[in-house]
Amino acid sequence: MVNLEVDSLVTGYSGKKILKNISFNVEKGEFLGIIGPNGSGKSTLIRALTQVIPTWNGCVKYDKKKIDHISRNDIAKKVSVVPQDTFINFPFTVRDVVLMGRSPYLGRFENPGKEDIKIAEETMKTTSTLRFKDRSVRDLSGGELQRVVLARALTQKPDLLLLDEATSQLDIGHKKEVMDTIKEKNEKKNLSVISVHHNLNLAARYCEKILLLDDGKKHAYGKPKEVLTNSHLRAVYGVEAEVHEHPKDGSLYVSPVDKKINTKKGEKTVHVICGGNSTGTLLKDLVEKGYEVTAGVLNVMDSDLEKADFLDLEVVTEAPFSSITHDSYEKNTELIKKADVVVVTDFPVGEGNIRNLEGVKEGVTNETELILVDIENIGERDFTEKNRGRELYAEISNKMEFEKVGSTEKVLKLL
Amino acid sequence: MESMREIIRKKPKSLFSFLSLLLLIVIIYSATVGTVDIPFQKVLAILLSETPLIGRWFPAFEGTDRTIVVNLRLPRILLGVIVGSSLAVSGTSMQGVFKNPLASPFILGVSAGGGMGAAVGIYIGITYYLLPLFAFIAALGTVILVFALGRVRGKTDIATLLLAGLAMNFLMSGLTNYIRYISPPEKEFHLRILAFMFGTLNGSIWKEAVISLPIMIIGIALVFAYSKDLNLFQMGEESAMQMGVEVERTKMIQLFTSSLLAATMVAFTGVIGFVGLMMPHAARLIVGPEHKKLIPTSALFGGIFLVVCDTISRMIGGIPVGIVTVLLGSPFFIYLLIKNRGETGW
Repeated sequence: MVNLEVDSLVTGYSGKKILKNISFNVEKGEFLGIIGPNGSGKSTLIRALTQVIPTWNGCVKYDKKKIDHISRNDIAKKVSVVPQDTFINFPFTVRDVVLMGRSPYLGRFENPGKEDIKIAEETMKTTSTLRFKDRSVRDLSGGELQRVVLARALTQKPDLLLLDEATSQLDIGHKKEVMDTIKEKNEKKNLSVISVHHNLNLAARYCEKILLLDDGKKHAYGKPKEVLTNSHLRAVYGVEAEVHEHPKDGSLYVSPVDKKINTKKGEKTVHVICGGNSTGTLLKDLVEKGYEVTAGVLNVMDSDLEKADFLDLEVVTEAPFSSITHDSYEKNTELIKKADVVVVTDFPVGEGNIRNLEGVKEGVTNETELILVDIENIGERDFTEKNRGRELYAEISNKMEFEKVGSTEKVLKLL
Repeated sequence: MESMREIIRKKPKSLFSFLSLLLLIVIIYSATVGTVDIPFQKVLAILLSETPLIGRWFPAFEGTDRTIVVNLRLPRILLGVIVGSSLAVSGTSMQGVFKNPLASPFILGVSAGGGMGAAVGIYIGITYYLLPLFAFIAALGTVILVFALGRVRGKTDIATLLLAGLAMNFLMSGLTNYIRYISPPEKEFHLRILAFMFGTLNGSIWKEAVISLPIMIIGIALVFAYSKDLNLFQMGEESAMQMGVEVERTKMIQLFTSSLLAATMVAFTGVIGFVGLMMPHAARLIVGPEHKKLIPTSALFGGIFLVVCDTISRMIGGIPVGIVTVLLGSPFFIYLLIKNRGETGW
């Protein structure tokens, strides 16, 4: 059974070095993901692992044996590849193509036997391609063809399956179907898998370990949690990304955030009073429109604070789950006074954050443009004793001019 | 039709037997046709008596009919079978390696090179029997040059090879045209060059069939030996490698063998067009693209087609067979095209 060792691998094309000193191991039954930006050497690595291109330095070993000492045919019995796409000009039937997977096991003039046909039919079953086995591959959709190619790769009976962005052409349903099929083989049949992914979320979801390549070098290698971190993604992809844990199954997921570095001072300052994930995309939108945005008072771990942090905003913060202290109340009121526009979102009002509204009452002047979101329904989100929230809103709206909008999405239109 | 195709694809041996029988009948019939008509039964009897091993059980023949059949018609017909099969297999191999149904045996410059060699030979007054050697050397030389140009860093790059073939085709045709331009104006002279460019079986002799037969057998056998690799090739070179194919070796063997086949045939008969391009298509329509079935079917189709075309050419006054193949082949090709339009059946 296969055990892959890659040791200080260096290779490339016609004098151009692509992979620089890559080392990693794949044990039997492991599911390794390879990620990295375009041109980082992912596909080159797949080629080096299948001896399509020679190694310049270092080595690739299967079961302690160097790859250049194994015949192409024997490599094909251990390792099979599903490429990103396949073009077939001639009308082979699906069955013909799947049976090609048996060719490493057959002699030059040997035809596939009963056993070979049985294996092919089994893999066609698991990839749900059996029902169109007699159709020409030229009449298939991209997703169908890709599943046929997967069936062919599985028919090779590999110990190690290499996927080179194998699902990138598929729609989301088929992506999941194909990856689930492979994962099942991986778990039940101990098939080792190395999967090159463009899509970080697929990598996070299916891989036990991830190798992050950057410019042909190993940038990070380990469990998804260790590799898919904000700092790694920023360093390699040059984007800010949020890494979350999926609430259902605990797998990670990544969502890139457009970051406009907030160096230049905006023309107008907008202070947003929020909390409890009430901002939606407001903070990001405001930053993108060129406003200087501040926010407060937010508890650590509040999702609005996370968003504000990604945008590098000036925020008045408070410890998790604790009430607004005098100190942060003062700071917040300062920001309100400085702001040209103050937006009060429809955050739930409780004893902990009631002082935010007090700050508005104190800090907003006649020059301030005040926008209150959804004040009509304050009753539904006022969780204070004695309806202090409602009272404060009434006081604010009596004391000064304001504009009201139904939801945070509409705030931007007023500005 | 669909179900018949299914049966053929599942039991290709019955098709091979049928086509072999058809080829035999076509050969015998073709030997009856010419300036002197000889009855079918008599031709059959003559041929049986001349067949090695079993011939001694049949009464021997003497006289003009025997001379016409054995010395004039038979070498021509057999050369037709050899050339037709060779060009068809050469085309199948080229289409397989180039993964392109438009490839032909002449794609790497065999025809233009051979034509140039023949033109030079005729121009400097080479005697008839040395002419094939001239054409062969020029044809193979052109292909080797194309190979050299198409080799990028130790690998044969298909796209570069195609372009190199195109360039050499132009260069060699240009040279041929130049030789024709500076040639003396005698009609006979130009007719000889033209006959080569159209391709003809006129004046075929036993020696030609005897020399080309082993080349055909070895060539087709080599192409056939790598038929599994040709199938895997269709998934793309990289995928083929990952399925265990020695891609470079396969490519070189296929391209060199098919060029050698084409160069040999061009040397003896000139450039007979269309057989190598169309027969693989016709065969693919019947047996599908799987090369283990496709190569023998193409070979049989090619042999039958060229002998039929040559028979027609003799019936209508001996025009070069290369003109018949094109005139007969093109409409058939267009018919297939229309019939299969919309179906991705090539």
